[in-house]
Amino acid sequence: MAASRVVIVKSGNVWTANDTPDPAVMTRMYARGFSLLTGERDDAVAVSSLFRPDDRVGIKVNTIGGRAISTRPEVALPLAGWLGRNGLREKNLFIWDRTTRELRDAGYATSAGRSGVKVFGTDTDGVGYEPDLVSHLNVGSLFSKIQTEFVTASISLAILKDHGLAGITAGLKNYFGAIHNPNKYHDFRCNPFVAEVFDAPPVKTRHRLTVLDALVVQFHKGPSYHSRWAAKYGGLVLSLDPVAADSVGWTIIEELRAAAGLPTLKDEGRAPEYLATAEKMGLGRARPASIETIEETVA
Amino acid sequence: MNRRRFMRRAAGAGLALGAGLPSLCGRLAARGAGPNLSRVEARYYRKLPDREIECRLCPRVCRLGDKERGYCGVRENIGGTYYTLVYGKVCSLNIDPIEKKPFFHVLPGTPALSLATAGCNVNCKFCQNWEISQVRPEQVEAYDLAPETAAVRAEEAGCPSIAYTYTEPTVFFEYMYDTAVRAKRKGIRNVVVTGGHINAEPLGDLLSVVDAVKIDLKGFSQEFYSQYVRGELKPVLEAIRTVAKSKVWLEIVYLVIPTLNDRMDLIREMAKWVRREAGEHVPVHFSRFHPMYLVKNLPPTPLSTLESARRTALEEGLRFVYIGNVPGHGGESTYCPGCGGVAIERVGYSIESVRIKKGKCERCGTPIPGIWA
Repeated sequence: MAASRVVIVKSGNVWTANDTPDPAVMTRMYARGFSLLTGERDDAVAVSSLFRPDDRVGIKVNTIGGRAISTRPEVALPLAGWLGRNGLREKNLFIWDRTTRELRDAGYATSAGRSGVKVFGTDTDGVGYEPDLVSHLNVGSLFSKIQTEFVTASISLAILKDHGLAGITAGLKNYFGAIHNPNKYHDFRCNPFVAEVFDAPPVKTRHRLTVLDALVVQFHKGPSYHSRWAAKYGGLVLSLDPVAADSVGWTIIEELRAAAGLPTLKDEGRAPEYLATAEKMGLGRARPASIETIEETVA
Repeated sequence: MNRRRFMRRAAGAGLALGAGLPSLCGRLAARGAGPNLSRVEARYYRKLPDREIECRLCPRVCRLGDKERGYCGVRENIGGTYYTLVYGKVCSLNIDPIEKKPFFHVLPGTPALSLATAGCNVNCKFCQNWEISQVRPEQVEAYDLAPETAAVRAEEAGCPSIAYTYTEPTVFFEYMYDTAVRAKRKGIRNVVVTGGHINAEPLGDLLSVVDAVKIDLKGFSQEFYSQYVRGELKPVLEAIRTVAKSKVWLEIVYLVIPTLNDRMDLIREMAKWVRREAGEHVPVHFSRFHPMYLVKNLPPTPLSTLESARRTALEEGLRFVYIGNVPGHGGESTYCPGCGGVAIERVGYSIESVRIKKGKCERCGTPIPGIWA
């Protein structure tokens, strides 16, 4: 069986003078990342290989960390814009998270108009959670209607961070933000819950792509922001395999930890074991030997 | 509301991009900016380096970074200070017969002002109130009800007690405590309905201001607690011991779930333990389970199982053993341990007769413990 492909795209020019990501550079990073991921040279063809033209695509961001360490609007909006210029309709793109407050705190301007990219939280009036519980393996949760009703396809656009309980938080755990009770699933280092939330039909049937915002990586003491342990990695990690993407994210965190003289997550007793669980459940590849990592730098 | 209706409504309400954006922001703020949340500093926590905190309210001892919430979902670390988000934010407020809690030895036949906020520190798969207990406070409607106002409401409604119930009162400890203090000043009793997952220090403080505690003993094995409660049995047993040793009245409820916690040998062991550690006079209620939340594949508890459990506990020397959630059953009534006569006759939540005078059986004079006036 072919290895799962994970693409890391970096750019030395991604930071503007204001220390914010440059949207034009981000757009180039997405274009290159999609091309490497799909093998298609043409942007629109690359997009069409993942989405139908009439798909309503949810871009699930993680904004719990506030402005300092969330999926940045300067990362999410260029993705939506690029998808909109390459075959998807902007009005069918939804950037979303649990609450509007968290989106705003992370720097997003919310909008839910008829045209254009929409940005809003599950707690918006008229949205909310499905009334019926989804009971799946060890998980019993209400899922956001954005995930179940509003969208037909889903991108996990997660921030890559160390996590005191889970080990790391990345693309899989990002979907904790799609359920009403994530606080109930942090026991046992979030294992097997991270894998099981992803495996639940509202997520598994819609997920198409993982993108990790690894421009700044919190490699220790996460998920909160601590400048001392946050590194400017300057990259995006993309994969169609949600487990492989997170596995590569874990490797990045370990590299940054090693460079800072910190012990491994395993040595700290908090390796993200949910990745092995996810692999056993057939959700993707966790072992580095079964992952093909391609790294490129764009101008 | 489905997606299509939402988008129509957004457009129809002037929420389209451009001219409508300001009003949209207002609408979003109404739900998203957290007016439904309190920000009152929590008690029983420790500040740690790097803006982390350690919650010491319940046995989970959640260690949380900035912007994180505990397992309960209602307490949050904001910049290194820990806050309760549900102080005075009542999501359920009713006047119930005190028998509904159930308390069978506390002011029988009286109404209790019963209140709850969102949240719970366990996740029972058979929770009967999961819509308010297993949610975050933003996800339910809540009323503002200050502690003093709650006490006044109870007084005005002619309720001689306030019951902290429905969800898990431990997670709204600060609000419960402050309300209890104010109610006590007015001569109103305070009764707590809890799963008993609470640490010794807060429990000790709570017992100084409340009159009665009912603890849900959800099973009698750690295996059951791990699998179906997501909690620990040991601290619950410790809480039962602590309340039993105090001057606060204690009752225990055991929800009997077919095939999960209905083994008679375990129930016998539990009854022995209650008699030894809490006392023979502690009322134990065996309640009927109804399919709910994540356990919908099991039938309601057969009456014969409840009757067996009651018989077993009586055999082990417990004096007051009841059957719950079976209206009209004889096991709902209180029987004098001296003469065997009916001391309090109950049908459902109704009291048909009380034959207790000054804490003693009217017929034979045997003391019947409880809070009777």
